[in-house]
Amino acid sequence: MAEKGLAAAIAPHLHSEQTIKRGMTDVLIALIPVVIWGIIAFGINVLLIIVISCLTAVVSEVVMRKILRRKITLRDWSAVLTGLLLALTLPPTVPWWVVVVGSVIAVAIAKELFGGLGRNIFNPALFARVVLLFSPFTIYTTKFVRPFWWKNGGFWTLAQTRIDNSIGGRIVYASWGGSPINTLTTSATPLSLLKSGRMLGTAVTGATPVGANFLTSTGKPTLYSMFLGFKAGAIGEVSVLALLLGGIYLVYRGTIDWRIPVGIIGTVFILTWIGGSSPVYQMLGGGLFLGSFFMATDWVTSPVTRQGKWIYAVGIGVFIAIFRLVSALPEGVAISILYWNVITLLIDRYVARSHFGDATRPVFNRLPKLAARPLPVKKEA
Amino acid sequence: MAHAEINTDYKTFKGGIHPPYNKELANSKPIEAAPVPGKVIIPLSQHIGAPNSALVAAGDRVEAGQKIGGTDAFVSAPVHSSVSGVVKEVAEMANFTGARVPCVIIEADSEQVPFRAGETKPLDALKAEEIREIAKEAGLVGMGGAAFPTHVKLAPPKDKPVDIVLINACECEPFLTCDHRLMLERPSDLVAGLRLLMAAVGAGRGVIGIEANKPDAIEAVRKVAGDIEVASLPVKYPEGAEKMLISVVAGRKVPPGKLPSEVGALVQNVGTAVALYEAAATGKPLFERVLTVTGPGIRNPKNLLAKIGTPVSTLIEAAGGFVGSPARLIMGGPMTGWTQENLDAPIQKGTSGLVALTEELIGWQEEEECVRCAKCIEACPMFLMPNYIVQAAKRGQWDQAEMYGALDCFECGCCSFTCPSFIPHVKYVRKAKAAIAALKKGVK
Ligand code: SF4
Ligand code: SF4
Repeated sequence: MAEKGLAAAIAPHLHSEQTIKRGMTDVLIALIPVVIWGIIAFGINVLLIIVISCLTAVVSEVVMRKILRRKITLRDWSAVLTGLLLALTLPPTVPWWVVVVGSVIAVAIAKELFGGLGRNIFNPALFARVVLLFSPFTIYTTKFVRPFWWKNGGFWTLAQTRIDNSIGGRIVYASWGGSPINTLTTSATPLSLLKSGRMLGTAVTGATPVGANFLTSTGKPTLYSMFLGFKAGAIGEVSVLALLLGGIYLVYRGTIDWRIPVGIIGTVFILTWIGGSSPVYQMLGGGLFLGSFFMATDWVTSPVTRQGKWIYAVGIGVFIAIFRLVSALPEGVAISILYWNVITLLIDRYVARSHFGDATRPVFNRLPKLAARPLPVKKEA
Repeated sequence: MAHAEINTDYKTFKGGIHPPYNKELANSKPIEAAPVPGKVIIPLSQHIGAPNSALVAAGDRVEAGQKIGGTDAFVSAPVHSSVSGVVKEVAEMANFTGARVPCVIIEADSEQVPFRAGETKPLDALKAEEIREIAKEAGLVGMGGAAFPTHVKLAPPKDKPVDIVLINACECEPFLTCDHRLMLERPSDLVAGLRLLMAAVGAGRGVIGIEANKPDAIEAVRKVAGDIEVASLPVKYPEGAEKMLISVVAGRKVPPGKLPSEVGALVQNVGTAVALYEAAATGKPLFERVLTVTGPGIRNPKNLLAKIGTPVSTLIEAAGGFVGSPARLIMGGPMTGWTQENLDAPIQKGTSGLVALTEELIGWQEEEECVRCAKCIEACPMFLMPNYIVQAAKRGQWDQAEMYGALDCFECGCCSFTCPSFIPHVKYVRKAKAAIAALKKGVK
């Protein structure tokens, strides 16, 4: 006699409050200060870019999952998060159609074509960011304006980067409608200032703010202003303070592992110091905090073991330091993380966990000798 | 005699989880005798090991405590009738896992003839072999769920002397309170049982490990513990798992695939220790046990002393029946127990509770793709990689499943509890264990 309503199921019969949605919304919440600062520093433009990026991501996800006959999983908020993260890596004046292209690449290709959330190898937002970087549109994703440029033009001005062919393909800024904004010019980011060779290695610690833009007498922003967010850069990378607030919240919630940001930032600090650059300046300039706390910690694309996380974090740090010190690229955070997204496959295959009570403490995974070769078994649907 | 100390100096193990405990539903309810059902269904084999054969046939008259199933094999435990009555038949019936197993079905007398205590020796005159024999004859098994024959544990290999006996009094499974009540109501019997266990293996140190969330039990046991140590342990699931308990209390780690005797330890749970005391003091075999009938879906949660073989329905009724519409009824605790779709299965020696859970409490959702969040890895107290065991099992890569630790998994469920993708790891682990065992056997 079956009792009405009593289901059969396998233990455990309780569950924690952990869900994919909780993880994703945690990151969205953690990014609120970053978004707010982006809007304050670069005007209402930024909000529109973010909305466009998120909407495109959502639409791409629905369309792709329909085509691929997968269950629609918008409720886990992962598409929105990918859209937001992508927007945060782009310049405040990036044209809206570049955002759309990037967001489609992120969700439709990097996420869904790779197999959907959980199977993607690359961090989708970073993948799209780097594809844009090496695309014909690269110019639109590498020109930055200084913070609070809107003080002259008005907060509500929608500015975007354009190429003016009438004056030989020069970069200009114009409203989305097309009317030029003459007061707006491209500004060097802290790291591009270093790369331009003018000030490589000069000590910047102790410099005092000069003028309204918190620049030192050498033209570089002070460390203090870089920490707060008074510097040119991508929408979400400029305020280290805001990023740190969000990052600490995520660590506190157990959503990300502290080992990854600490490992990356620590390694970059030490190596750039050894390399003769200013480590604090390297730490605060560019996308190091955005990348370390919000990109490299992506569940799907980072290693699962603690040892693996350390290897991954230090590896990313080393790559970033090399990019910054040796190559022509000023940044290198995005590419370094993508490289290590791939290496993660190897890390997780070979880094072993020493099982409870195992005195031999294996460091690498070795396949046990099962008496017979495993029988091929039909895949579970 | 030295005065018992409460030792609170223990650090917890790595991994584990904090499920909602919900002990307050039943922890203030004194143990009551459950009604004797019209008929009991007693599975012939209720232990891990060699199966028993029936010693009675249809039509035989049996008394409470009479042996009705046994075997000569060493790793086994006999079963006894829990009622006085007449054997109706010996037949295959569904047990709590749904498997059909041979059972003795006994029609109980309406007037029960109670069990009569036999001749026994004074407890401190018992020799080690005698205690083992008592445990064996009484059909004692681990009463926390695993149901491993107690006398086998009491006979560790000669070259591995046991010097510490631990009582798992953590009761770290949510909802269950039967051990808690036993400690409050019969602390001296528990202590006496522990002394017998120590004498049986010649151990000098005995520790009763209780989770710190049961201060009244700690106090009750301490008062009568004498020179036995009462350990107040950090509250975390699965604190009471054999390997965890030994590492927390004795600081020794049982190697993979090995038994606690490997590190000179023996663990028994509260119910088993009390039952050993009863068997030694009165000759009473294990034919009834205390279990908790509880959960938000039970009208009147209770701790019941019930006859082995009582059908689930009798016990649910004794606790006032269901309220609302519980979504799952679990035999055992909610972390490791088995769902019952109907109420016919009998309780066994290893049944620690019946828990009726509502849908909100279960909070289980549809399984998603693994998002590699590593929460299962952080939670696994055996330091395995549950996510990869699942992946390997899905692909039928049994060598990989073994590499990631399938054989070391003791199915505590911590991984699934924390998994944001609601992956039922234990299901895949069981599959992998079966496949690996088959492969290994295949070539021998
Ligand atoms: S907890 Fe679940 S989702 Fe996270 S790694 Fe483990 S199996 Fe995957
Ligand atoms: S893998 Fe096994 S031992 Fe580890 S948490 Fe999961 S059920 Fe427990």
